[in-house]
Amino acid sequence: MTAPNAPAASPQPARIPRLRTMVRVGMRMMFHDKLKLAGTLFGVIFSVVLVNQQLGVFLGLLSKNTMFIDHAGADLWIVPGSTETLQAGKPVPIAALYEARTTPGVAWAEPLLFGGATVSLPSGGSEPVTVVGTKAPAWRGGPWNLVAGSVEALRHPDTMIFEDSERDKLGGLNLGSVREVNHRRTVVGGFTWGLLPFAPSYSFADYDYARLLLNTPSDETSFVLIGVEPGADRDAVARAVKERVPSLEVLSASQFRSRVLSYLLRQTGIGATTGMSTIFGLLIGLIIVSLSMFSSVIDNIREFGTLKAIGCRNSDLALMLLVQSTVYGLLGSVIGLRLVTLMADGMRSPKMALVLPWQAFAATPVLMTLLCGLASLLALMRIRKVEPGMVFR
Amino acid sequence: MNNVTERHCVVDVKGLKKVYGSGAVAFEALKGVDFCAAAGEFVMLSGPSGSGKTTLLSILGCVLRPTAGRVALFGRDVAGAREDELPALRLGLIGFVFQDFNLIASLSASDNIALVLRLRGWQPKEATREAEKLLAEVGMPEKAPSLPRDLSGGQRQRVAIARALAGHPPLLLADEPTANLDGRTGVQITEMLKDLARAHGSTVVVVTHDNRIFHLADRRMHIEDGRIQEEVT
Repeated sequence: MTAPNAPAASPQPARIPRLRTMVRVGMRMMFHDKLKLAGTLFGVIFSVVLVNQQLGVFLGLLSKNTMFIDHAGADLWIVPGSTETLQAGKPVPIAALYEARTTPGVAWAEPLLFGGATVSLPSGGSEPVTVVGTKAPAWRGGPWNLVAGSVEALRHPDTMIFEDSERDKLGGLNLGSVREVNHRRTVVGGFTWGLLPFAPSYSFADYDYARLLLNTPSDETSFVLIGVEPGADRDAVARAVKERVPSLEVLSASQFRSRVLSYLLRQTGIGATTGMSTIFGLLIGLIIVSLSMFSSVIDNIREFGTLKAIGCRNSDLALMLLVQSTVYGLLGSVIGLRLVTLMADGMRSPKMALVLPWQAFAATPVLMTLLCGLASLLALMRIRKVEPGMVFR
Repeated sequence: MNNVTERHCVVDVKGLKKVYGSGAVAFEALKGVDFCAAAGEFVMLSGPSGSGKTTLLSILGCVLRPTAGRVALFGRDVAGAREDELPALRLGLIGFVFQDFNLIASLSASDNIALVLRLRGWQPKEATREAEKLLAEVGMPEKAPSLPRDLSGGQRQRVAIARALAGHPPLLLADEPTANLDGRTGVQITEMLKDLARAHGSTVVVVTHDNRIFHLADRRMHIEDGRIQEEVT
């Protein structure tokens, strides 16, 4: 005979209190085993540091090759056809400058000279530099990040501004030092900081002096920089200029930038190298976190069995793991990003600078949380197989 | 076993069989067990290792599926319940006391008890209050914040009993509750389990081979070779 007034099994409680309970238990279990916590966090931090360091170096290298375009202040560039890098290539006829200046919507247009030169060293050797010729009085495409001297020094005869970090390399330059550049006596009028592309460092000269140094005919230049009138449609102005110089290309600054980046990624292999390192970093993080969480489940297998025996469902335990993986991801990201920031500050130099955009700071916690979530799948699979009956064995 | 039919069975087992494995390696752990426990009874199951007593307890605890037979707990056919219904059945009907205590190491004594209550939908404050009350009932009110590692074996088992009683489940299942305790503590713990279960109105099934506590049973059954051999009075 069975009991007539049987007690009912308790109804399933509201989802939120149950979630809160499992979150709390998950957190307590996680912070209880400090060694395991440290091991798992190490995996996440390692991943965050490696990925962001690689990304920072990669973006730093790219920015070195596009910084000139970013700082030139031009809305549009007239460049020779098929230009993919910011280097002297086929010349641009100077007539293009006058065509641009007379195009409706153009506020200003200035020529810019680019070319390779060598600096003779007192010791006897020579070092290459990239000579940039810029026009007074606006000095479009002129030097920035000046740490000594002034751009106005370029008005003085035979004067150039060099890169500060190359002073030793160029034979111990100081303000007022004299060197031969392409066999012409040149005076040092100032120094910039950090203007080091993949190519030799930028060295600035007045346009006419640069033309002499580079032996450029007066009817040719390297690029034409264009500023668009306020309120004018930049694309429309670009089309109008292009109609006047059909043999040349008219690019917006962002188009030129993209083209340079695209070339670098295709031709230099730094994209593939950095990509591999990034994937490697993520993979190592995934493996460490995955094994650490799995081993944590194995270590506490009896507790998970007990939780199942007293009424927890697989979904409750999955939630616990999810919470743990989220906390691992977020906490590891915060610590890792802090380390990367410190590393970036420590590594900052004219030759090497980690560039960490805000997007990296925003994406890292999301990426790491996803990675930790993925890493918890192995542990979850083990938990699903835990028989509550094991607690009686 | 005549009294099975006479008793008001809240735990009602008929023709229970459990076979582990299949084919040549099949092992029949239970060979048609009939078992009954009345409301509020304190029943002990004893028997040698491998006799099937833990298998029977596991099936009663809804943590193991029988191969054949009927298992009804308080009128509910748990043998036929769907897999996803079992956690709720365990949570609502059964409190467990384990041989190894099985407390959650990272939770305090109070939180181990409150966990069950919170899973049952109690508000955190009420759950904590009730947990502290239960700890007082097992004589350890001052141990509420202690972690299991800071408790002795006897104290851990007291916390486990308090956890089993949390939410007043109508059935308590205890698996060798004195196995890891010295003789005196084992008897004390079992006496406490019996008294508290009675106060809470719970039916208790204890699996044990500890003859020092046999005298505390309302009824004691001996299980051997997968069959309940005799009822020892």
